Amino acid sequence: MFRFIGRLLMALALIGLGLAGCRPATPAPVTLTIIMEQVPDTDVIQKLLPDFEKENPGIRVTIDAMPYDAMRDKILASFMAPKATYDVIIVDNPWMDEFVAGNFLEPLDSRIQTTPDYDFEDFVRPVREIGVVGGKVYGVPFYNYALGLIVRQDLFDDPAYREAYQKAYGQPLAPPTTLEEYVRIAQFFKEQSGGKIYGAAMQPQRGYKVFEEWKNWLYAAGGNLMDEGGNVILDRPEAVQALNLYIKMYQTVAPPNSLNWGFDEALRSMAAGESATMMSYNWMLPTLNNPQGPAGALAGKFALYEVPGGKAVLGAWHWAIPHNAPNKDASWRFISWITSKAVEKQRVILGGAPVRVSAMKDPEVWQKGFGQAYYETVLKILEDAEPLARGPKAEEIIQVVGTELNAAVAGEKTAEQALKDAADQVRKIQGQ
Amino acid sequence: MSQRDRALGRRLLFPLLVLLALVQGYPIAFAAYISFHNYQLTALDQVRWVGLAQYQGLLDNPSYWTATRNTLVFVGGAVILELLLGLALALLLHWPVPGQNAFRAIILMPMFITPIAVGLMFRFLLNSQLGIIPALLRPLGLDVDWFGPRLALVSLILIDVWQWTPLMVLFLLAGLEALPTEPFEAARVDGASSLQILRHLTLPLLRPVILAAVLIRMLDAFRVFEYVYAITRGGPGERTETILFHIYRVGFLYFRLGEAAAMSFTLAAVILILVVILFYILRRQEAWA
Repeated sequence: MFRFIGRLLMALALIGLGLAGCRPATPAPVTLTIIMEQVPDTDVIQKLLPDFEKENPGIRVTIDAMPYDAMRDKILASFMAPKATYDVIIVDNPWMDEFVAGNFLEPLDSRIQTTPDYDFEDFVRPVREIGVVGGKVYGVPFYNYALGLIVRQDLFDDPAYREAYQKAYGQPLAPPTTLEEYVRIAQFFKEQSGGKIYGAAMQPQRGYKVFEEWKNWLYAAGGNLMDEGGNVILDRPEAVQALNLYIKMYQTVAPPNSLNWGFDEALRSMAAGESATMMSYNWMLPTLNNPQGPAGALAGKFALYEVPGGKAVLGAWHWAIPHNAPNKDASWRFISWITSKAVEKQRVILGGAPVRVSAMKDPEVWQKGFGQAYYETVLKILEDAEPLARGPKAEEIIQVVGTELNAAVAGEKTAEQALKDAADQVRKIQGQ
Repeated sequence: MSQRDRALGRRLLFPLLVLLALVQGYPIAFAAYISFHNYQLTALDQVRWVGLAQYQGLLDNPSYWTATRNTLVFVGGAVILELLLGLALALLLHWPVPGQNAFRAIILMPMFITPIAVGLMFRFLLNSQLGIIPALLRPLGLDVDWFGPRLALVSLILIDVWQWTPLMVLFLLAGLEALPTEPFEAARVDGASSLQILRHLTLPLLRPVILAAVLIRMLDAFRVFEYVYAITRGGPGERTETILFHIYRVGFLYFRLGEAAAMSFTLAAVILILVVILFYILRRQEAWA
C-alpha cells in the first residue's frame, strides 16, 4: 500500500512538473491526448482520426490505449493533477455518477446546444441517459455493450432437433422468451447432442461478470436491484427465483467447473462449438460470424436475439471532458465530430457498436455493415435496457453483489441467504 | 575513527537520508495520516479526522478477516511446501553429475516469468474445457474442479509453489555449497549413514540459510496478488480473497484510500511480528551452535 501511494504521489508530481514545463501558451496547434481501452472499438476510432485531423488542421490527436483495469486510476490521477493529462476521457457507466459527484467532469449542455445539427435526442434514450446526472449532460455516448442472447441458429434450424423438441414439449423450437423456456431449451440441447454441446456458456466469475449476466435473469423474473424510490429490493422473492433458476442452469447445462469463467472463456466455448447459447455483448455476434474470426468453420451460424424477458443489462462508454482539461474547446470539437450523425454512420460501418438511432435505421449501414436484422435487434435491445447500478457507489455495489452471487452459484450459501446478505451490504454502502 | 572521519561520514550519509525521507518516509507518514481520516479520492472535499474509526471498522468487517485467514493459509501452505520441495531438489542438484549446471538452469526457469503471466497461463492450463492438465487427468479417471470452492486456494498455493520453489532451491544450494567439507568427511570416516549425515550435520549447519530463505519467501508470499487477480478475482465467494487483493479493491476500485491505508498498517504489523519471532528463533539457534 505504501508503495502504491508513494507511486501515485510521485506520478502526480511528475505529471504536474511535466505539464507545467511543456504546454505551449498559444492555443494552436493543440495536441489532444485521449485515454481509451484496448478494444476493437478503439481501433475503429484510430481509423477515423486522419479525417478529423484533415478537417481540423490545428488539432492533433494522440490516443493512449490501455487495458481496462489500468484506466480507472490513470483517469483519477489525471483529475487530481493541476492540469489534466487527458483532454478527453471515456467513462464506463458505473463510474459516471461517481465522477460527477467528485466534480471531475465538465457539463456539456451549452456546448451541445450551440453545436449545429448535433441532434442529441438521436442517441438511444437509455444510453443517452447514463450521461445525464442531476439534469445536466456530462457524457455523450461512444459505444454500447448491452447484453443479448447469442445462439447457434443452425441448431434451432436443424430438422431433427425441431422434431424432437416438438414431440417432447408440444411446441416449436424457437429462441426462448422466458427464463423457464431458456433453461428447458438449454437442457434439451445438451440431451439431444448426447452431452457434446452444453446448453449455455455461462459467466459466473465473481464480481462484475456474474452480476452482469444474472441481472438479465433478474429483470426477466420481474425484479431489480432497487425500486424507483431507490429502496433495495434485491432480497424479494422474484430475485430468489431468478437466482435459483440461474443456479439450476449452471448445475445442469453449463460446461462443468466453469465457476470462474468470464467472457473470454464463454466466447471460446461458443467459438469451439461446445456451447449452444450465451448471454453476452451484442457485438460478439459479428466476431463469431467473421470467417477469419475465432469460430472458423462455424462462422455464419450464430444469431442474436433479445435476452429472455426482453429487458437487458445495459453497458455503455461515454465521451467526457475533465474539468481540468486545458483546451476544452478543442476537446469538444473532437467529441462533437466523432459523435456527429455522419461520422457515427462511418464508425458503425467500420464495425463500431452503434448508439445513434439514425445509424441503426440507415439502409447503407445495413448493407455495408452486418445486415438489417442485426441492427434492428440491437436497437430493440438498447431501447429496453438498464445499467447494472447507478449512483456514486455503483462500482462497490457491483462488486459486493457479484461476490454474493458467485458464492451462491458455488453452493457456499443458499440463494435466499446470498441475496439477503447482498441486499444488507448494498443498504450499508448506500448509507455510508 | 577520528572525529573528522565521523563528521565526513555523516555528511556523506546525509543525501541518502534525505532521499529516504522523501521516497519512503513521506509516503509512510502520509499513509499514516490518511489512515486516521476518511480519505476518499472521489470525495476530497469531505475529508475529516475520524481517529481510530477505520481501524475499529476492521473488527466487524468479515471480508477483512476472511482475507487475513486466506492469506495466512496461503503463506503457510506455500512456504512449507516450497521449503520441503526446495530442500529435496537442492540436495539432488548438489549431487555431482554430468550436466549439473544445465539441470540447475532448467529448474530455475519458472522464477524468471512475471507472476501475472504465470497466473494467466495456469488459468487456461487448468481450465476444464481448454486446459491440458484436466485433459491429461481425465483418462486416469480424475475430474478435478481446480477453481471450485474447495480447491481454489490450494490451486493458487500450488501455482506459487511451481513458480517460487526455484528460489528456495537457489538459496539452499548456495548454502550447501558453502558448507565446510571437513565435518562431512569426519562423519563418513566414523561410519555415519547418509540419513544420519542429513539429520545431524547438513540440516543443523544449513539452519541459518533455511531461516533466511523462509523469511524472504514468506514476506514475498504475503504480497500475493497476481494469481488472484488473473484467475479468480478472489472467488468463488471469498475463498481466495487475499489481504492485498482486498486492499486493492478498497483502495483502487472504491478509492477509499484511508481505509486501505489502515488495513495496510495492520498487515505491516502482522508481518513485523512474524519477522521478530523468526529472528528470535534464529538468534537462539546461533547461541546454541
